[in-house]
Amino acid sequence: MASGSGLIGARPAAWRFRALVTRVRRTTDIVRESLRNPTTFAGGLIVLVLVLMALFAPVIIEGNSPNAYQMPRDFAAIDAPPGTEGHLLGTTPTGGDVLYGVVWGARNSLRLSLIVVSITVAIGVAVGSLAGFLGGRWDSLLMRVVDVFLSIPELIFALAIAATLGPAFGNIILALAVVFWVKYARIVRGQIIHVKQNDYVDAARVIGDSRWRIYLKDVLPNSITPVMVQATLDMGHVVLIGATLSFIGLAEAGLAEWGNLVSEGQSGIVAGRWWVATFAGAMVFLWALAFNLLGDGLRDVLDPRTEGR
Amino acid sequence: MAIAATPLRPESSPSLGRNIVTIRGVRKYFPIKEGVLQRVTGHVRAVDGVSFDIPRGETVGLVGESGCGKTTLGRCISGLLPPTEGGIYFGLDDEAHRRLDDLLRMPAGSRTPEQDRKLDELAARYRIDAMPKERWKAYRRNCQVVFQDAFSSLNPRQLVKDIVGRPLRVYKEAFGRDLNARVIELLDDVGLGEQHLYRYPHQFSGGQRQRISLARALALEPDFIVLDEPTSALDVSVQAQILNLLHRLQQEHGLTYLFITHDLNVVRHMSDRIVVMYLGKVCEAGPAQQVFDHPRHPYTEALIAADPGRHGDRRVDLRLMGPIPDPARPPQGCRFHTRCPVSTKWCGWEVDDVVRQLESAGRTLEGLTGVERRSEFSADLRFQTEEQAEGLISALRSAAVPEAMRAALIDLRRNGNEVVLRFEPVDEVRLESIEPEHETACVLHTSQYPQVRGE
Amino acid sequence: MTATVPLLSVDNLAVHFATKRGVLHAVDGVSLNIGEAETLGLVGETGSGKSVTARSLLRLVPTPPGVYAEGRVFFRPRVLCSTCGGTGCATCGGIGRIPAPCPACSGAGCPACESSGRETLDLLRVPERKLRDIRGNRIAMIFQDPGKALNPALSVRQQIAEVFAEHRSQELLEAAGADGDSSSGAGVLMRRAARGRSRLVERRVLDIPPFRSRYARLRGGLDDRIAEALKATRIPNPRKVMNSYPHELSGGMKQRVMIAQALACDPDLLIADEPTTALDVTIQARILDLIDELQEKHHTAVLYISHDLSLVRRISDRVAVMYGGKLAEVASTAQLFDDPLHPYTKALLSAIPSRGQRRGELVAIEGAVPEFIAPKACCRFHTRCPFAGPLCSSKDPALLERGREGHHAACFLYDSPDDVDAAPDLMPSWQGKRV
Repeated sequence: MASGSGLIGARPAAWRFRALVTRVRRTTDIVRESLRNPTTFAGGLIVLVLVLMALFAPVIIEGNSPNAYQMPRDFAAIDAPPGTEGHLLGTTPTGGDVLYGVVWGARNSLRLSLIVVSITVAIGVAVGSLAGFLGGRWDSLLMRVVDVFLSIPELIFALAIAATLGPAFGNIILALAVVFWVKYARIVRGQIIHVKQNDYVDAARVIGDSRWRIYLKDVLPNSITPVMVQATLDMGHVVLIGATLSFIGLAEAGLAEWGNLVSEGQSGIVAGRWWVATFAGAMVFLWALAFNLLGDGLRDVLDPRTEGR
Repeated sequence: MAIAATPLRPESSPSLGRNIVTIRGVRKYFPIKEGVLQRVTGHVRAVDGVSFDIPRGETVGLVGESGCGKTTLGRCISGLLPPTEGGIYFGLDDEAHRRLDDLLRMPAGSRTPEQDRKLDELAARYRIDAMPKERWKAYRRNCQVVFQDAFSSLNPRQLVKDIVGRPLRVYKEAFGRDLNARVIELLDDVGLGEQHLYRYPHQFSGGQRQRISLARALALEPDFIVLDEPTSALDVSVQAQILNLLHRLQQEHGLTYLFITHDLNVVRHMSDRIVVMYLGKVCEAGPAQQVFDHPRHPYTEALIAADPGRHGDRRVDLRLMGPIPDPARPPQGCRFHTRCPVSTKWCGWEVDDVVRQLESAGRTLEGLTGVERRSEFSADLRFQTEEQAEGLISALRSAAVPEAMRAALIDLRRNGNEVVLRFEPVDEVRLESIEPEHETACVLHTSQYPQVRGE
Repeated sequence: MTATVPLLSVDNLAVHFATKRGVLHAVDGVSLNIGEAETLGLVGETGSGKSVTARSLLRLVPTPPGVYAEGRVFFRPRVLCSTCGGTGCATCGGIGRIPAPCPACSGAGCPACESSGRETLDLLRVPERKLRDIRGNRIAMIFQDPGKALNPALSVRQQIAEVFAEHRSQELLEAAGADGDSSSGAGVLMRRAARGRSRLVERRVLDIPPFRSRYARLRGGLDDRIAEALKATRIPNPRKVMNSYPHELSGGMKQRVMIAQALACDPDLLIADEPTTALDVTIQARILDLIDELQEKHHTAVLYISHDLSLVRRISDRVAVMYGGKLAEVASTAQLFDDPLHPYTKALLSAIPSRGQRRGELVAIEGAVPEFIAPKACCRFHTRCPFAGPLCSSKDPALLERGREGHHAACFLYDSPDDVDAAPDLMPSWQGKRV
């Protein structure tokens, strides 16, 4: 390709552009594959709707002031059924608007799951990487810590932490983060130990590249797929457990949160006031289902055995 | 086939030694861990005392079956694994090489402190695990590796441009458009082109991936490349392309190859010198032509005879029987004696062979209750009954065991329900020169047991 | 007539795979014959379709994604010789097996047996039940990786016992003297035990005194057969190896166990899919000797699949070379290796490094095997063939006998322009590069 070398100097921008195009195409391939896969498509669609609802919550219903995450109270309409003027989905026994709870609950759930998942992924990847990449004594030590965490039932553990710290939304986040990071540590470690055996890691060592760069370029990118799948699944799982905790009353009272709403509405179900618990419960269900579908689908789509083949 | 005049690179001066890499007494043991506490219960002796030279500009073929330690040795030489003992010396000039060999010839215990100090000096300057950082970096650049599995040796998430350009980036040799030009040059060199720059490894066939691996290895303009079964995973037609390419590159860049493979056809075609390994030790080494035409070690002979390409003379007498022994407990004397079709009484028959040979003859040691080992060559075997003990004795005197093993038994008697047996103790077989440059470790050809040839 | 009827004939077999990018024609119109006691070597590179061909003979290609698009696979099993009952006599030539006559016409020749007079089964269409009876019994298969083909959770005894239980339960019962009482509960239990279907409770019941002796005889008979099968493959200490698990055995040993399992029922055809590729040369040589020897003894036909030409040369009577899902050349081993006709075969042969070839001057086939996704009519090799002419990329060459008897090649180089209805300037010519 002698003629090629002459042209290189002339078009550096074009070269960079081609690299970009190739990389983007790989991403679009995954997206296209996801759209074709019925599981990811269905899950992704519901997730999109829920996330849009969360993002545009202030547009759909004006936020309560000063704290938008607190349910507004309409003491004039207590236990109003759905369809009541101004309360499309009815109200709670304390006069909270169910629609407000559903919409702002979505925003709350998104906030909760994003914060918890990013914290846990960060901790998990850090711990798992240390254990898997350094191996030896580090590995034994860190994995024993992980074992200890894993031997406590997660719901009870989260409950105990949240209960000790007192009812507050921040404490729920903390409790969930403490419980969830171990999973990631385990996944990342296993993945790294597996990836480390690939010849391309040795090839990088032979070149003389530093350990840190081998970790960043070779090991981590090839270990991260299962983490992404797990993180997607956990977006649903976190909300489920978060709802459980606030159902028990570990969130601030009156928080626009689905678990809270179910808790408030549960006593009314027998008396025929089904709407509070049903709408909020359905949202929790839908949220968890959507992320599970998406995560399971991604597991297939991102499977390295089929990727790019 | 002799290579026309050793092609030296223009900048190489006469002070460079004949050998680019010198391997002396390399051992690599892997611990076997057992139990909850991971106690070390033994060692797999993957490489167990290997020495040879890799002459500049030549191709040394390292042959052997799976488990013989050739890949482990290759990893030690390329600096990926630290050897348990011994050393890989790089850049020895001829004078230093001679001094090193003089010093190493003496057993470790009999060296004077002065000599030990000299050895340490040589190690600190030339041994790759002890040399100063600057020299180690030079070795790191000078010694590259091409792996067998072209699928796992390329990072699936990097573009070809990044894979091939990475060494240049690591050593900050080229950036931006300059880097691109260099990468294209390298791709061009291995028969790929500009159009392949922005592709991922999975878009290539096995042969093309191996070309990419080669381009990456060439990026730093090394003198020495370890080729670890580079064509084993490829189809014949593609293998021929890669072998031709390897030869061309060697000519053009004055490369030295260590070619690790189990394929005798390939190694004969590619190598100037051949080193045959069996169970962690070298059993024969010499010029390729000579080793193939006149193999001196029975194992080499058996390997050549087993090649299905050699139709016509299917010498069944050279079929190796029995399994490859456990490398954690390698046989005494010559490691090949358990499967050797021409073994003698001097080959290292030992207590373990009683079990090995009787098992492959289809017998079991029934009623054995205990073994008291005095040495590898002498033990008492306790049985439940006297008949069972007598049974072993008659088995050891029968044709169920090789004649050579019977000849090596200097004591075999029954003592109650115990069998006392003693073999003639022998030393490990040494690798000895039988012709210039041609070495073998076989008692039939070395001077170690002159009696053998007398018999 | 009967003598020349092939044991297995593959007629225009086509196997396609549905992939993301289209229909992959893995096998595209392959016709082959394998005679009794013949060894046919099937050679090809990665992606040539040789393994898919072999697997489709036993309908082992997973569907989907695979589709048996076309073709028939006729198999003509042998039965135990009625004169000697399998021990070998003059009637059967000491083999113990004779051709099974066609049940429809009892040997006269009718459409059902393709007028061969022998029982003829189309393996692509026989019901699953019948196929199960053939697999492992009349046609056995050994695979490249014995480590994966053997079940790691079962002992060697259990793995081989399965074959006998599946195909030889009646004989086992007879040998144990437990054949008569089929109506009694004990008879049912024994029957289930012989088929390897019994549960732990049932085995406990069979262990109590009234049944114990017959059950012990059944197990003893089974163990004898297993030991015999292992011994035939020259495994030392068969009784000991029987009780070991695959992970305790070396690679060569595992391959022997697999061969023992495959030959346990004295099959008519053994399909060997690269059985020695994962083994060392010295072990490989012994396994090849073993296959030779067993074939001699049982008159089993062997379909030996390999990418290694020298190996195939060593073991086969006839060789078929496959490329891109089609047969390029079929000939006797001597003809193929001494005087190959197809440019692909020629190139393959000279690509093997051999004595006397100068370094760097191996004949390599340029490029790589393309993927044949919905290919148009063409010679599959034309993209890499140095002699190819315009005709090669537009028309399918037929596999025809060229010159000598039994030497078939699919290449226009041996056709005259009139034969194939083409203008002379479209034809390929030898005026290409060297091969």
